[in-house]
Amino acid sequence: MKDIPLNWFLYFAAASFSIGLIGVLVRRNAIAVLMAIEIMLNAANINLVAFWRYGTPPQAEGPVTGVMVAIFVITIAAAEVAVGIGLILLCYRRWNAADVDRYDSLSG
Amino acid sequence: MSPNAAASLNFRDFYVLAPEMALAAWGLLVLMVDVGLLRGKPNAQRRMTVGWLSLAGVVVSLVVAMLPLLGRYNIGGIAKYLPSIGTDSSKLADPYLFFGTLSGDLLNELFNPLYIVLLGLVVGMSMSWSFTDDWGEYFALLFWSTVGMMFLTAAEELLTLFLALETMTICLYLCTAFEKTRHRSVEGGLKYFVYGSVSSALFLFGLSLIYGLTGSTQFSAIRQALYPESGGDMTGLSGNIAAATAVLLMLVGFGFKVAAVPFHQWAPDAYEGAPAPVTAWIATGSKMASFVALMKVLLNALGPWESRADSVTSPGWIGLVVVLSAASMTYGNFAALAQRNFKRMLAYSSIAHAGYMLVGVAAVGVSERHEESAGSVLFYLVTYAFSNLGAFAIASWLARDTGRDDIEDLNGLGSQHPALATCLTLLMLSLIGMPPLAGFFGKLYMFMEALNETQRAG
Repeated sequence: MKDIPLNWFLYFAAASFSIGLIGVLVRRNAIAVLMAIEIMLNAANINLVAFWRYGTPPQAEGPVTGVMVAIFVITIAAAEVAVGIGLILLCYRRWNAADVDRYDSLSG
Repeated sequence: MSPNAAASLNFRDFYVLAPEMALAAWGLLVLMVDVGLLRGKPNAQRRMTVGWLSLAGVVVSLVVAMLPLLGRYNIGGIAKYLPSIGTDSSKLADPYLFFGTLSGDLLNELFNPLYIVLLGLVVGMSMSWSFTDDWGEYFALLFWSTVGMMFLTAAEELLTLFLALETMTICLYLCTAFEKTRHRSVEGGLKYFVYGSVSSALFLFGLSLIYGLTGSTQFSAIRQALYPESGGDMTGLSGNIAAATAVLLMLVGFGFKVAAVPFHQWAPDAYEGAPAPVTAWIATGSKMASFVALMKVLLNALGPWESRADSVTSPGWIGLVVVLSAASMTYGNFAALAQRNFKRMLAYSSIAHAGYMLVGVAAVGVSERHEESAGSVLFYLVTYAFSNLGAFAIASWLARDTGRDDIEDLNGLGSQHPALATCLTLLMLSLIGMPPLAGFFGKLYMFMEALNETQRAG
């Protein structure tokens, strides 16, 4: 396990974070946008767990460690998806489309 | 201070959290009463019953939230009836609660009642007309978003802060889309959700980098880790790419939440689409809580990255905050000129106000007098919150009586409802900062703090 250097995890996390961010910006399907947001959250999780595994904890580390943060983030992500799917469903019922470009009643 | 040394829970922790717990429990109660007892009743009756029940909850939590404040100053000799461990937090060695994740100081004791009063006004506004069928859920979500705001104000640790931020905003996404029959409300909700969750993800990535760089998520521990062993001087961000990325990501995340240019795009849409009471709650409560959290993170945790000690203009977060604030003030005010929808105009005004408050945040950063400068920003937040809430109350009256909320619909208000027109004029004057109204003093104190800087070399 220790054979894989920390840097590799960080490169991987940064890459998947960028993929998620690009996904949010270019995908037009609302569900795909939601998936891209999930990728971004999970990229941060990889960072947190990798730092927790490899970092040397300082004297005053505090009550919350990296893995604990990651576990909480997973629950947050679940709550966000539940709300997101609900909102997308509501939009789909109003416009009969899951395409974010179609939702254009507000502008200016 | 080592946070782990104080690893003990006591009754005081729960006593200080009592307002949050009361609000959360009352939200559940409201939900259950609506689902259980009022099923099948007409909409107006449910609205009023659940609304009054929510107002009762607001009163109960307000009493609970006032107790620590009354006890602190021993008003009316009340201190001897209150739990003795909770009344004198200034004398306790450790001002932190729950293993150092939350603070229980004067700031929370003052802001908790404020949030509850604002919530009461929002609840009262919501009772004025029927924009939804799901009253139990609506009022429960308002309560829970308030709980999120209180925790956000109290957070002393990045994970707690993130959780509180999400509790608050997830409830607000749903509230925004609550007028389900109107396309605009639903669309505003979805846009708020997409922008909000992307900004949360950016914030979280910044959080993970800061955790990696400092080894802790707690503000005081981060601050300790950032000061170099020898000097204890501020280092700024020059040459530290990882730190710069982390700070940038966190600022983007907060910039979205407080609606600062260039991260403001969601605000006009969400403000226009949401029912007026929800807009009021997003514009006041959520902005207050986010600003307090922003200041806590930047000043308490990331203070050493502000700029190099010898030069304010060296790389550091202070430069970013200044750019954000200048852009917000300029763009917000100019864009507001072109608006025809009342709530949309107020959205741009709130963007501009976020810019003003960021000036204050920058001033606290460079100031030698942290308490006074921070106090001026908090004062500005409170005056801004109350005048904006009043303006949105007018918007919600407009939506109830005319079903529309364009600025043109306000024509003739002076002859039809002179009192209302006077109130609106006063609120607008306060928002633009006319003496002798509160908005003027807010701006005065804040800009005085910004101008009075004992100039550091640079």
